[in-house]
Amino acid sequence: MEAFEILTPLSIILCIVGVFVGIIFGAIPGMTATMAIAIFLPITYALDLIDSLGLLLGLYVGGISGGLVPAILMNIPGTPSSICTTFDGYPMTQKGQGESALKVGITASLIGGIFSLAILYFFAPVLASVAIDFSSVEKFLIILFALTVIASLSSGSLLGGIFSGFLGVYISLIGFFADNNQLRLVPSLLENELYYGFALLPVLIGLFAITQILQEAETGMKSSPYQKFEFSKKDKFSFKVFNGQWMNTLRSSAIGTFVGILPGVGGSAASILAYSQAKNFSKHPDKLGKGEPEGVIASEASNNGLTGGALIPLLSLGIPGDSTTAVLVGAFLLQGIQVGPLFITSNPDLWSGIVYALLIANVIMFFMMFLAIKYMAKLVYVPKQIIYPIIIVMCVVGAYAINNGVIFDVWTLLLFGLAGFVFTKIGIQVAPFLIGFILGKDLEKYFIDSLKGSGGDVTIFFTKGPIALVLWGLILISIVFSLVQSRKTKHANNGVDTPV
Amino acid sequence: MKKVWVMLFVLLLGAVLAGCGKEEASGNEDSTKVDVSRVRVLIGSSSTGGDTYQNADAVTRYLEKELDTNAKVDAVGANRAFDELAKAKTDGSSVMFFHDMAYLGVEYGSFDEKYSLENWTVGPVVALNPGNAFLAKADAPFDTMAESAEWLKSNPDKTIKVAIEAGGVSQIGFDAYYLWVKEEYGTEVSDRIKVYVTGSQSDKDQALWDGNVDIIHGSVSSNAQYTEEGVEDKIKMKFVGITSSERLEGYEIPTFAEQGIKVDGKEFTFDKEYFFLLPKDIDQAFVDKLDQAIAEVVKNPDYAKDLSVNAFVVNHIPMEEAEAHLTEKRDILSNIIKNGPDLNEITAN
Repeated sequence: MEAFEILTPLSIILCIVGVFVGIIFGAIPGMTATMAIAIFLPITYALDLIDSLGLLLGLYVGGISGGLVPAILMNIPGTPSSICTTFDGYPMTQKGQGESALKVGITASLIGGIFSLAILYFFAPVLASVAIDFSSVEKFLIILFALTVIASLSSGSLLGGIFSGFLGVYISLIGFFADNNQLRLVPSLLENELYYGFALLPVLIGLFAITQILQEAETGMKSSPYQKFEFSKKDKFSFKVFNGQWMNTLRSSAIGTFVGILPGVGGSAASILAYSQAKNFSKHPDKLGKGEPEGVIASEASNNGLTGGALIPLLSLGIPGDSTTAVLVGAFLLQGIQVGPLFITSNPDLWSGIVYALLIANVIMFFMMFLAIKYMAKLVYVPKQIIYPIIIVMCVVGAYAINNGVIFDVWTLLLFGLAGFVFTKIGIQVAPFLIGFILGKDLEKYFIDSLKGSGGDVTIFFTKGPIALVLWGLILISIVFSLVQSRKTKHANNGVDTPV
Repeated sequence: MKKVWVMLFVLLLGAVLAGCGKEEASGNEDSTKVDVSRVRVLIGSSSTGGDTYQNADAVTRYLEKELDTNAKVDAVGANRAFDELAKAKTDGSSVMFFHDMAYLGVEYGSFDEKYSLENWTVGPVVALNPGNAFLAKADAPFDTMAESAEWLKSNPDKTIKVAIEAGGVSQIGFDAYYLWVKEEYGTEVSDRIKVYVTGSQSDKDQALWDGNVDIIHGSVSSNAQYTEEGVEDKIKMKFVGITSSERLEGYEIPTFAEQGIKVDGKEFTFDKEYFFLLPKDIDQAFVDKLDQAIAEVVKNPDYAKDLSVNAFVVNHIPMEEAEAHLTEKRDILSNIIKNGPDLNEITAN
């Protein structure tokens, strides 16, 4: 079906608005794409799914892309995924090549985004068609695998990561249990409020917006002593910069896409991996970090490559690839759509709509940023002491409105906002916690269904078939990998040489 | 530059707060005043893809035109819908739309007694789902529910697992089947019928595909897609019976009655009906207006056409007869519920 038969004019307008607002969120240090989507989620309640996806995917692409502006101009990554953009982007600005650096980053972002979209388009249906054969045993193991990967690859210790994931699972089990029609883990005072457990959306908005604002409040919100910069008139960008860089661009896009497919691994990992590979393959590795477009290309192609990649496990298996796509699950839930192996075949128009919306979002992002970069650059000066109180009001109104006026949802928002802030202090990681919370009920359901199907025989998890064994192998590898990594880090910290 | 930002943010904040204020203003009106300018239709399901939502959405779209008002379906789930209806104002600004599970859930003990029909004003019945069905895998060794019992009898080492949702419409059909097998073939056969309790329709479908169960409860509207030609073998299903009194047009599915499934000597039939529930002390003026509006909606051929897309049919019972109709239906079914098996004892494990 043609793009314009599926996408409504409103969805395209909202996609443009989404990209614009997303760039603003990405460009203001401390605000992220995830935060943008979380805040705008309640608004989508009043929209059709295709219109709301236009807005949210626009926010996603814009938010990831906007992060390069402060990274290049101020040496502050606007989002965690633009960490490596600072390595060469800022030195380029210092050399008077700020505008060129931004345009290199924007072009690389477009290529990364389109590359990952192509992979999403061809790979997700294949993965989904394989996943139809997955029984509850394999589905349970996939979620277990996702949780171990998230735990082992996210920052911090493996044990802390696993604990965070399973704490999320535990919290998700609060409420009504359909198998025996009983409430569990619910204090008698809150039986009505917690009948269906904590609502997902206030939890998401709390963890990603309120927590962030509390953290910013802790560091202080006075106008940052940002250095003013001026674009040099001699600085002229040319696409010739990409001559000899196509391999780097494609490799970095591929790395970003692949990292996106791994559940729970964020954009910062993609960016770091792509940057280190660019350095390994570079003809002049010593120049990287001193203001080479090569480094900006690697970082930006990879972090936009993440966008399509992270949607692959979400749309084919129902497992969010990162915290931003975890928030997107909320958009589908709001519209009563379940994402999983049957999603693409059951909703072909919606699937095409997502692909078209992502394509449009990437193209709009490119033109919007490329043509108006001088104005976009001013976004980094937005005073946070004004914007954050407004965001808090939007969050509270959104949380209250999301289930048609439930005040307990506002308490949930504030509770999880505060919890997220405390989590960062005591080593509980928010991403594994959130993904555990989202997948917890499914993890339990597939576990129980497997046992019900096997007549209570626990060995079914090992004897179901070859796919189950492969998944056990992957779970084991991810744990061993993590143990080896943490050992290496420990040794390195102790100043002991480790064999590589 | 800074001043522009301040102005922009103040405007945005003002717009957000104005939106809140507007909600508040309409909420503070006199609770006794009839207000049909905005009707919230709470449904007993939290899904917007199921039959309850499809029916609620169809009737609400036509109803808001008849009432000249704005109405919105809110999929909040049974417990919250009941809870909010109990606290709702009596002006008709919140009503509930649900099906037979509203009273079956109370009879089965899934819902609190305080939610029983007597504690509401029963609104008009508007539609019926004649496609309340049971399905098996396409390659199952039986084609009907009755044949499944015969198959169990001829295979004494086999069991049949049936996936249903506890305390609802699917359990009543299962109970009837179980009681009939027990009466017709004795406990030697009925003891080998096990139940697999699960939640949504997609969970039941998945249980069948996984080979965890042999029969699932479903509906023609949501499961017909898996019975069509060209569907992959892995997910292909077949209908083995529907509980309606007559066959559904366009489908070759034998009814329970045709198959000879009887309870207490009477043919078992059950049609899932959809109706409104209103607060106990609802304003009479609103009640009259709603009843008249529904009478107009059900005459509208477009409404019937919309329902037929999902194999539902118009089934109008005005308010003055609705309560007696549903109470009578409940009393007949309560006998089956009383004699039905305890799910805890026959759960597959």
